[in-house]
Amino acid sequence: MNFIWDNIFRRANNQSVFAVLRENMLFQDLTDAELRFLERCIHIRHYHPGESIFRQGEVGVGMYLVVSGRIEIYIVDPNALTEDAREIYITQLSANDFFGELSLVEENGRRTATAVAREETTLIGFFKPDLMEILSRRPAMGTKITLRIAEVLGRRLKETTDKVSELRRALKDLRVPPEREIPNQGAK
Amino acid sequence: MIDARSAYIIRRERLWRLVSFLSILVLSVTIVLSVKGLLASCVLAFVIAYLFAPVVDFLERRGLTRSLATFIPFLIGAVIVGIGMTLIVPLIAEQLQVLVGRLPQYQADLSGIISTIELKYQVYLKAGQFDLSQKLSDWIAVKTTATSLALPEFVSQSFTVLLLAPFFAFFMLQDGNVFSRSLLSFVPNNMFEITLNLRHQINDQLGGFIRARFLEAAIVGAVVWVGLQILGFPYATVLALFAAATNLIPYIGPIIGAVPAVLIAIVSHDSSISTTPEATLLFLTGVYFLAQLIDVVFVIPFVVAKIVDLHPVTVVVMIIVGAEVAGILGMMISVPVASAAKLTFNALYSHLTNFRD
Repeated sequence: MNFIWDNIFRRANNQSVFAVLRENMLFQDLTDAELRFLERCIHIRHYHPGESIFRQGEVGVGMYLVVSGRIEIYIVDPNALTEDAREIYITQLSANDFFGELSLVEENGRRTATAVAREETTLIGFFKPDLMEILSRRPAMGTKITLRIAEVLGRRLKETTDKVSELRRALKDLRVPPEREIPNQGAK
Repeated sequence: MIDARSAYIIRRERLWRLVSFLSILVLSVTIVLSVKGLLASCVLAFVIAYLFAPVVDFLERRGLTRSLATFIPFLIGAVIVGIGMTLIVPLIAEQLQVLVGRLPQYQADLSGIISTIELKYQVYLKAGQFDLSQKLSDWIAVKTTATSLALPEFVSQSFTVLLLAPFFAFFMLQDGNVFSRSLLSFVPNNMFEITLNLRHQINDQLGGFIRARFLEAAIVGAVVWVGLQILGFPYATVLALFAAATNLIPYIGPIIGAVPAVLIAIVSHDSSISTTPEATLLFLTGVYFLAQLIDVVFVIPFVVAKIVDLHPVTVVVMIIVGAEVAGILGMMISVPVASAAKLTFNALYSHLTNFRD
């Protein structure tokens, strides 16, 4: 493989980048002209199988959209007893999925999981400085994107709240009720 | 887990990307430093671009295309410079002409004053060892000859810089993002986010710093001009412009800016100044002090200090290093360069120590 030409100068198909942007819910309110402007603000990145996009604990600067390929998200548990249990698989993402959007609104926020490419992958990187530039140069367009980001984050928050409630319920069901406690044998 | 072959490919690509990226940076810096006048053109272009950027963004927000939004401030700038040239340049030329004409008299007066001091303190000096007045005359003669010899080259170089800088600045504002995005595409994946964030932070800091320094310079220049006009001091415009320009050099600049006016006040017997020489000197000191007071009390705490987080000792050391490397221009750009270097070092150190791959 010629790594210089194959990787550094390779470009993703512009049509597919435009299509991925148009189909993404964060940018669904944008007009074609605004999408073309967005195309000039984003970054196309290529990853090999096994290459990490970001690691848990790193400072995150923005989000990624999958143009092609497959990404695996997992968290690392430093307290795990065995090596196998250290990596906890979370999910797998493919074309048109996106991840890391929390970093767009956080100040020096750390990545909460690790993202690794599982095959040859092309991603669109959309970062906080890019969003700031859009807000500064095209505020109406920036507002549309920001509102959609807020919507996504709100939805994620609601999902997390539901999950926490579910876990609490499950934890409550697991607890032994006080009236059914085994009587103290010694008191007999 | 990642197999050995994939790990090798990833490492090799990261290395090549890093080498390419650094090579482009080193090559660019080498070209800028080695081609005569290019450093000054680039620095001035950055200054123009940072000063115009808020206006260009504002016009773009109003619905203009980027090209038109960039073109309008340049057009207005050209008109202002044109009007300024027709109004101020003749005034400066006239004041400079008078100043150059009176220079031998000032030199003689200054030598006289020094001779008087020498005579007064002769008992403390060994005869012939400290002929300060003679040394001063020799020094002025050498400097005058050197300046007159270097003047044609300086004028032609300034002309090149003044032509190139706006040209560079225009394209920095219009296509700067395209260029920096292309350059960023060479950055290895594992360093991409940190580099992008760093570029954003440096950009923000530099923009704020340059705008703040020019605001300071304008305030100092205006206060000095008004003060000298009230005093009826000669060469008010030239001296105010000089004070404004030297104020761009931190700490040392304000002192350098006041020196010519103080020297003129000591030796001048100008009939246009109605006050006594002592009162003139006192008032003059007051004017320069007031200009610095406004700068120190209002501009620096609210604007500059928030932008550049450097210790005063670091600033002074950087100014000395800047002066050694690139003269007055080096003194002016040393602080933003040091600030950007500090930001880069901190970000890289934190990245490399916290998250080693």
